[in-house]
Amino acid sequence: MMKTGLKTTGMGTDETMADIKAPAQPVVVTQIAPAKMTLAEVQAKLDGKTGRRFWKNLDELADTPAFQELMAEEFPRQSTEWVDAVSRRGFLKVMGASLALAGLAGCTKQPDEAIFPYVKQPEDLVLGKSMYFATAHPFPTGAIPVLVKSDSFRPIKVDGNPEHPMSKGKSDAFTQATLLSLYDPDRSQRVMHRGETSGWGDFQEAFVGAAKKTNGGQGIYFLSETITSPTLAAQWKQVQAAYPSAKLIQWEPVNQDSSRAASKAAFGSYTDAQYKLEEADVILSLDADFLSGIAHPGFLPLAAGYAERHRYEEDKPMNRMYVVESMPTVTGFKAEHRLALKPSEIAGFANGLVNGTAPQGLSGEAQKFFSVLSADLKASGGKCVVIPGEQAPASVHAAAYALNSSLGAVGKTVIYTETVNPIPSEQVADLKSLVADMNSGKVQWLVILGVNPIYTAPADLYFQDAFAKVPVTVHLGSYVDETGVIANWHINKTHYLESWSDARAYDGTITIIQPMIAPLYNGKSAHDVFQTLLPNAQLSAYDVVLANAKTYIRSSAGGDFAASWRKALHDGWVEGTAFPAKAAGAGKSAVASFPIPTMTSSGLEVSFRPDPSLYDGRYANIGWLQELPKQVTNLSWDNAAIMSIDTMAALKLDQSDPVKLSFDGRECIAPALMAAGHPDGVITVHLGFGRGVQAGRVAQGVGFDAYQIRRSDAPLFVAGVTAVKVPGTYDLCVTKVYNIEHRGAFAQHDLEKPQFDTEGVYSLAGHEAEERSIIRYATVAEAKKNPDFAHEGGASGTLIGKVGYSPQGEKVPHDNSFFPNQWKYDETDPATLKVQNAWGMAIDLNSCIGCNACIVSCYAENNIPVVGREQVKVGRNMQWLRIDTYFEGDLHAPKAHFQPMACQHCENAGCEQVCPVGATVHTPEGINTMVYNRCVGTRYCSNNCPYKVRRFNFLLYSDYDTESLKFMRNPDVSVRSRGVMEKCSYCVQRIEAVKIEADKENREIRDGEIVTACQQACPTSAITFGNINDKASKVAKAKAVERDYQVLADLNYRPRTTYTAGVINPNPELA
Amino acid sequence: MAQVFDRSSNALARFSLVLTGVIVIALGVTLDQLQRSPWVTRQGQRPDQPVPFSHKHHVQGLGLQCQYCHTQVEHAAYAGIPPTKTCMNCHAQIWTNADLLEPVRQSWATGASIQWIRVHDLPDYVYFNHEIHVNKGIGCASCHGRVDEMPLMYQQNTLQMEWCLNCHRNPAANLRPTSEIYNMAWAGPSTDKPVWCTSNGAATGSGPTAQNVSCTTTNPTGKGPEVAMMQMAAEANGPTASDVPPLGIKMPASYEKFTNQMDLGRYLTAQYHIRNPQQLSSCETCHR
Repeated sequence: MMKTGLKTTGMGTDETMADIKAPAQPVVVTQIAPAKMTLAEVQAKLDGKTGRRFWKNLDELADTPAFQELMAEEFPRQSTEWVDAVSRRGFLKVMGASLALAGLAGCTKQPDEAIFPYVKQPEDLVLGKSMYFATAHPFPTGAIPVLVKSDSFRPIKVDGNPEHPMSKGKSDAFTQATLLSLYDPDRSQRVMHRGETSGWGDFQEAFVGAAKKTNGGQGIYFLSETITSPTLAAQWKQVQAAYPSAKLIQWEPVNQDSSRAASKAAFGSYTDAQYKLEEADVILSLDADFLSGIAHPGFLPLAAGYAERHRYEEDKPMNRMYVVESMPTVTGFKAEHRLALKPSEIAGFANGLVNGTAPQGLSGEAQKFFSVLSADLKASGGKCVVIPGEQAPASVHAAAYALNSSLGAVGKTVIYTETVNPIPSEQVADLKSLVADMNSGKVQWLVILGVNPIYTAPADLYFQDAFAKVPVTVHLGSYVDETGVIANWHINKTHYLESWSDARAYDGTITIIQPMIAPLYNGKSAHDVFQTLLPNAQLSAYDVVLANAKTYIRSSAGGDFAASWRKALHDGWVEGTAFPAKAAGAGKSAVASFPIPTMTSSGLEVSFRPDPSLYDGRYANIGWLQELPKQVTNLSWDNAAIMSIDTMAALKLDQSDPVKLSFDGRECIAPALMAAGHPDGVITVHLGFGRGVQAGRVAQGVGFDAYQIRRSDAPLFVAGVTAVKVPGTYDLCVTKVYNIEHRGAFAQHDLEKPQFDTEGVYSLAGHEAEERSIIRYATVAEAKKNPDFAHEGGASGTLIGKVGYSPQGEKVPHDNSFFPNQWKYDETDPATLKVQNAWGMAIDLNSCIGCNACIVSCYAENNIPVVGREQVKVGRNMQWLRIDTYFEGDLHAPKAHFQPMACQHCENAGCEQVCPVGATVHTPEGINTMVYNRCVGTRYCSNNCPYKVRRFNFLLYSDYDTESLKFMRNPDVSVRSRGVMEKCSYCVQRIEAVKIEADKENREIRDGEIVTACQQACPTSAITFGNINDKASKVAKAKAVERDYQVLADLNYRPRTTYTAGVINPNPELA
Repeated sequence: MAQVFDRSSNALARFSLVLTGVIVIALGVTLDQLQRSPWVTRQGQRPDQPVPFSHKHHVQGLGLQCQYCHTQVEHAAYAGIPPTKTCMNCHAQIWTNADLLEPVRQSWATGASIQWIRVHDLPDYVYFNHEIHVNKGIGCASCHGRVDEMPLMYQQNTLQMEWCLNCHRNPAANLRPTSEIYNMAWAGPSTDKPVWCTSNGAATGSGPTAQNVSCTTTNPTGKGPEVAMMQMAAEANGPTASDVPPLGIKMPASYEKFTNQMDLGRYLTAQYHIRNPQQLSSCETCHR
C-alpha cells in the first residue's frame, strides 16, 4: 500500500467498511511490490530491437534478481500468507469454527435438510431442467440481445441470443457480468426520502402534486441515461404533451457526441453508421477499439465479421487491418499495422487521408505508414472501411464519412441509418445548459434516471454546487451512489432482468425486455417514473410496453397481435424492425466544419477512456469485472496513468510510482504504468475508479478518479497537463507476472548460458514463447510457401534440434512409452460397435481477439469466486481461464499475440501422477477431472502443471453466506471450499447433461451439442469443442489443419486443447 | 539395590503391548463400523415429518402409481416432491377434517410450503440423476426399497459411495425391464418365475432406450407365435419410458427366456446400451 492519499483495501466486508469510515491505522501491505525494473536497463536492452522477440512484461525483460526470485516460487510469495488485518480477523473467526468441527469431521452426520415443495407448481416447470428466455441487455451503444438460462425461475446465466440476426448467440464481458449485478447484495433496496425509508406511493404523490402546480411542467427536468427504448421515448413524448415545458436531458460520461456532431454536419440529421466487415478487404480504424467490447457500437457483428475474414483458408482472401490509435488496445494489436499517435494527431492524420497529403510532423515511419495505407485503401476498390472511434473527436468522424464516401465504401461496407437512440442529442452541450439552468434557479425538480452525475459530471461544471441549488432532486438508481446519497428522493431501480422494457440493438432490431424474476427489492424503472406524470399513472411497465409494441410489431396475417407479441417475446426480437440504410447516402463532406485540434507541444496530453472492464464506472461493484485482468495491461482491481516507457523516463518515473496529474487547477494522483506501444507525450487514464463507500463494497477504495480532471470542453482528451512524481509507491495489481513460472532446468538452461541469445535480450516467457514455440504464426506469404510452418519451424524463427528440446512441434512417439496402453481413447463399445467419445478443444489464435468475454462466462458457469485485490496481488486469482498476451519485438511498437490458456486436459497429465489422493484423475473420455471432495490441498498438481492453469482456494473464497448470491449459483457445479484445488473442467456438467439426454434417446451425441461456456460466449467463434474421435466433427477438422499445434508438445503431456497457429496478412511494403 | 520390577511384570509388559495393539485395531474397526453405521448413514431412520405420510397406505392400499406424485422422475435429475395441490386433489374431498392433515390444509390456505425433512440426502458434491436411472432399467425399489411397505418413509440403503459403486461396477445385477420400473414387488427372474424378453428390432439403434425391449412374465410361447407392439419412433429429447403409446402394429416376435437375474441383466445391458463399468464408475459421472 502506498503512503499517499490513495487507499488500497481488499474485498469489502463490514470490517473494511468500518476501517474506511474511521481513519484507523492504515492497512499496511508492503513487500509485495512487483520487482522494480530499471528503466535504463530495459531501454538499453531493448531500444530499437525489432524482429521476433517475445516477452510478456517488463519485469522479465529487465530480468532483475527480484524477478528471478519470484519465478522460483510456485504461487508467488505465498509466504505472505495474511496480507491485511481484516483477513487475519476473518481467518481467526473461520478457524474457530473449523477447529470445533475438525475433531468430529469424520463421523458427523449431515444436518437435517428441509424440502420446500411448491403449493401449486407451475405447469411447465421441471425442477432441475433449466428454461431459457429471450430478452436484451440495454446498453447506450445498442442493446445486446440475450438468452437467459433460468433455473426454477432464477436467472443463472446470460448468453447471446442465437436466433437474433445480429448477435447470433455471441456475447461480451459486460453482458455476461450483468448477472452478478442483479444479485449484487449492495444494490439499493428501498425508496428513500431525505435519508429515511419511504414509499413509491409517497414519491408519486409528491411528484404529481408538484408537477400539477407548475406551469406546464416548467422547472421539471429529467436527466436520463442514453435512451435506447422506443417505449420510453414514446412515453417521454406523452409527458411532453402533458407538460410542454418539462425538459429531458440525456447524459452519460462516455457518449457519442463526436459522431452526433459530425453526422449532423454531414447528413443534416443525427446518423449512426453500420459496418459490414465481412465484406471489407481493408479495414482502417481511427482510434476505434471495436474489438474490445460493447463500448464500441456493434461490437458483436464487427468482431464476428472481422474474424470471419481474418481466418486463413485456402482461396479465401484475408482482410488486412490498419489501426491508428493512442492507447494500445486489442484492436491495435490484432491489426497487421498499428500506428501510435497522440489523440490530437489522429484528426490531422485522418484529414491528411481525405486530402491525400500527409500531415506535417509525422515521423519517417509514420509517413510510410500513411502512404502505404492510402494506396491500400484506394486499391481495395471500395471493399474497404474506415471506422472512427467514439472517443475520437468529431473531425475524425467527419473525415471517416468523407473517406468512406470517396473510397466508394458507402453502400458496400458502410451504411448510414437512423440512430439507435430514438431521441439523439449532443450530451455534453445539453448537460452544460442544464447546469446553467440549475444555477439560475430555473430547475425546481431534477429527476435523475439512472445516471450518477455527482461522480461523473465534468469537473468544471461544479455539478454538485448546482445540484444543491435545486429544491427537489430525485435519483432513480441501482445503488445509493454519490448522487443517490445526496438527492432528496432516491428510488431503487429495477435491473433489466426484473423489469419490462424494450430496446434497439446496433442494427436497429427491437427486442422486448421481459423480466426473468420478480423485482428482488420492488424496484421501479424509468417507465414507471414517466408514467407517474401521465393520466393513467397506475399502468405498469408491462402495460406501457405492450401498448407501445403495437406501433412496431406487425400483426400476423390474421391480424392477431397477441400471437405476434408472443412470437416477439419468444424469439427475442421483432421482425422487420432493423434499420434500412438512409437515403441520404454518403452525405456531404463536413470535414471543413470541424477544426483540427491544434497540436500543442507544451505539456502532456491526457486521454480519457472508458475502462475496458468497468466502462464508465457503472460496473464498478461487479467483482467479476473488477478482478478481470484488463486487456493489454493485465491490470486488475486498478486503473493507472498509462504511458510509454520514454514518457516515463522523461518524467523520471518508475512503474508504480504515484504521479500527480494537474490540469487547470485540478489534480489527481495516479500510479504510473508502462504500456508497450503507447505514444510518447500522452497519458491514458481510464474512467470509473476511485469510488467511495457509496459505490458498494467491491467498488470502494480501488483506483483513482479520473473524472476529477475531466473538463466539459475537452471530455475526450486534454493537452497541457503537468505530471509530477509524488513520493511513495502504489502497488499496482497486475496479474501477468504470476503465471510465469520456472519450468525446470531445461527451460532455464538457455537463460544461464545464453548460447542462442547472445544479445542478451531475453525474457523467460519470451524465451518460451519463441524457443519452445508457445506462439507460432506466419504471414500469408510464408504460410502459402510452407503450409506446415507451425511444425517445421523457420517461420517464427524457432530453433530445431536445440539442446534440451525435442524438435519443436514434433510429437513424441507415444508408442515408445513404458505405458502405451495406459489410456486408450479409441475403444469400441462391444454392444454398439461405436467408438467411444474423446473430448477435445481447438482454439484458433487468428480469431481470438482477447476481449475477455470467455473469462466472465466461465465465472458465471462455474461458480468461480472473486478473491479481492490483495489476493490477486499475491497471485491467487481464481479465473479458470486466462488470456496470455505475448508481446513481440520493439517496446515502442510491439506486436502482440493473445492466447487463451485453460486446463489443457493432457492425456498424459503430470498433475495426475503426483496427486497423492487421486483427487485429479482421468476419465475414460479423456477429461482430466477434479474430485473436489478428495482434494486435500497438497498443491503438488499445480507444481507439476507446465501450463499453470490450476487454481487453489487458499482461503474460503466462495461466499457461503450472502443470500442473494446463492440464487446466482449454477446448481450443477459444486461451490468449492477452502483448501481445494480447481481448474477448467471442459464444463463437465454440460457434457454430462448432454450425455444423459443422448443416452435416454439411445443415440450418439451430435457434433456441436456440447458447448462449453467460453465457446458459447466467444464473439469470434475462436473456440471449438467436441468429440475428436468423430472425424466429421468440427473440432476434429480443426485439429486436422496443418497449423494446429500443441503448446509445450515436447513434454509429451499430450494436451487435448490445441491451438491453430495464426496467420497475418501484413502489407509487404510495410514489412 | 532391590529390583523394582518383579519377574511377573514381564508378562504385564508383554500383555500391555498386545493390549495396545488390540486397542488400536479395535479403534480402527470401531471407527470403520461407526462410519458405516445407521447412525451416520441414517439408514432406517424415520425423521419426524409434519404429516406422517404413509407410502404403504397410498401405494399398496390405494394403488397410486409412483409418478402420480413424483411426476418428473423420468424427465429430470430430481424425482420431484409433490406440491400441496397434489395432496388436495383428493383431500379436498376425503378426510377433509382429519387432524393429521392440518399442515396440508394450512399450506393450501396460506400458500406456505409443507416443510418435509429430507430422507434421502446425498452430499452436495454428488450429482445423482433420476431420469437416466429410470430410463435405463433401474427400478425405484432397487434404491428406495419396498416403499409400498413403509408406513413411514425411511432410507433403505446406505447411499454411501461403495453402495453406488457396487451397482455402477456391475449394473447387470440390478437391471430390469423398463416396464417393471414402478413394480415394487419385482424380484427378478427365477426358475419358478421366468421372464421372456424380445428385442424390438426396429427400435434398436434409435429411439428411446426404454422401448428397445418387450418383456413379459407370462409364457408367450404356449400360445403360438407371439406378437410385440411396435413403438412409435422417437423424437429428439422427447418421450421416455412411459410416454409413448404403442403404434398398434403387431409384429411377430421371438422371445428369449431368462431364469436368473444375471442372464437377464447382461441381455438388458446390451439392449439398453448401458455404458461399460469403466465409464459408469468414472468420477465425473457423479462429481463435478
